[in-house]
Amino acid sequence: MCVLAALLGAGLAWHISGYAGDAARPRPAIENEQIYMFLRLNSPEQMAAFYEARGFPREAIERLRQTCFVMAHVENRGQEIVWLELENWRFVATSGEIPRLDRQHWEDVWNEINLPQASRSTFGWTQLPEVRDLQPGEPVGGNMILPATTTAFTLEADFHTGRDKRKGMIRVRFRDLHCAQDKPVP
Amino acid sequence: MKQPLVVLGLSLVLVATLLATEQALPPGIMVLDARPAPELRLEDIDGKAYDLADARGHWVFVHFWATWCGPCRREMPTIERMTSALGDSPLEIIMVNTAETEDEVFTFLAVVAPDAVPLMDTDGLVTERWQPRGLPATFLVDPAGILRYLALGGREWDTAPYLAFLSRLASPEPVQKAVNGAPP
Repeated sequence: MCVLAALLGAGLAWHISGYAGDAARPRPAIENEQIYMFLRLNSPEQMAAFYEARGFPREAIERLRQTCFVMAHVENRGQEIVWLELENWRFVATSGEIPRLDRQHWEDVWNEINLPQASRSTFGWTQLPEVRDLQPGEPVGGNMILPATTTAFTLEADFHTGRDKRKGMIRVRFRDLHCAQDKPVP
Repeated sequence: MKQPLVVLGLSLVLVATLLATEQALPPGIMVLDARPAPELRLEDIDGKAYDLADARGHWVFVHFWATWCGPCRREMPTIERMTSALGDSPLEIIMVNTAETEDEVFTFLAVVAPDAVPLMDTDGLVTERWQPRGLPATFLVDPAGILRYLALGGREWDTAPYLAFLSRLASPEPVQKAVNGAPP
């Protein structure tokens, strides 16, 4: 059966409202028999605290603070391989696509500030992989990083399925997402 | 003339044992393409040197982890209980911390797995060479130093299916002798 047809049939279950970092509100998530996926949008303060605690130098923290962190968790709940391929994901605002700050971008930044190898390694493992053939039952999680923005955006994530990518497409849409902001200092 | 027949026979025993094991794989265990394990030479948190090349002749459980990784925190205690449950099994269990400091690791393990003595991949380059699919990840290396299995994500290693699987791997004498070239 065509996965896409089934998912389109699921209708609004796949169109999840976003959140603006308020812990009391549920994180955007989708769950069905094929996939479980949720997002968490972390504030610059939260991400700075994470990397500071792991010894990242001040220059690196300052660069990371100027961005928007979107953490994604994806889990294959079906029996077919699900292909996570970030080239098939798009962050879209009304003004157009928001380009991801990808691994090459960060490699250039780390070279510029001469980031130690250990920090580069840790940073790399905290990013969502560019490509992963998710096996049945396999989870994956990690960050995607965007330039900071105050406008709402949508994440459009498409996943091929099947070993040869011909078992249909899973299309996921997370709408009305907002970069998390630091809490104002009282 | 007799020696090739013995080698052939032992090879068949090895293949049969691996096939029997693969038919009963617990959830989340992937069969790998039998490439040689990458080099792994590190010091543990106490400064003692370790070289995977010295582990030929028995299976090795190679686990990669980091303190910041949530599934690692959940999986680590199950590895401790697994180690205890396997008792005197010839399976060698090593844990490789990825790119963290002794202070970070020590503080974490004191709470989560006080008996663990991890190897320290301080710059993360050994982990990069092994190319795990993420953290945590566990490779199973056979007695000849070949990568045979990869465990996906966090596993409950102290549960019956995994204990039985690891016991089967570690126990069959014919497999180890065949790989070592020793007589049956």
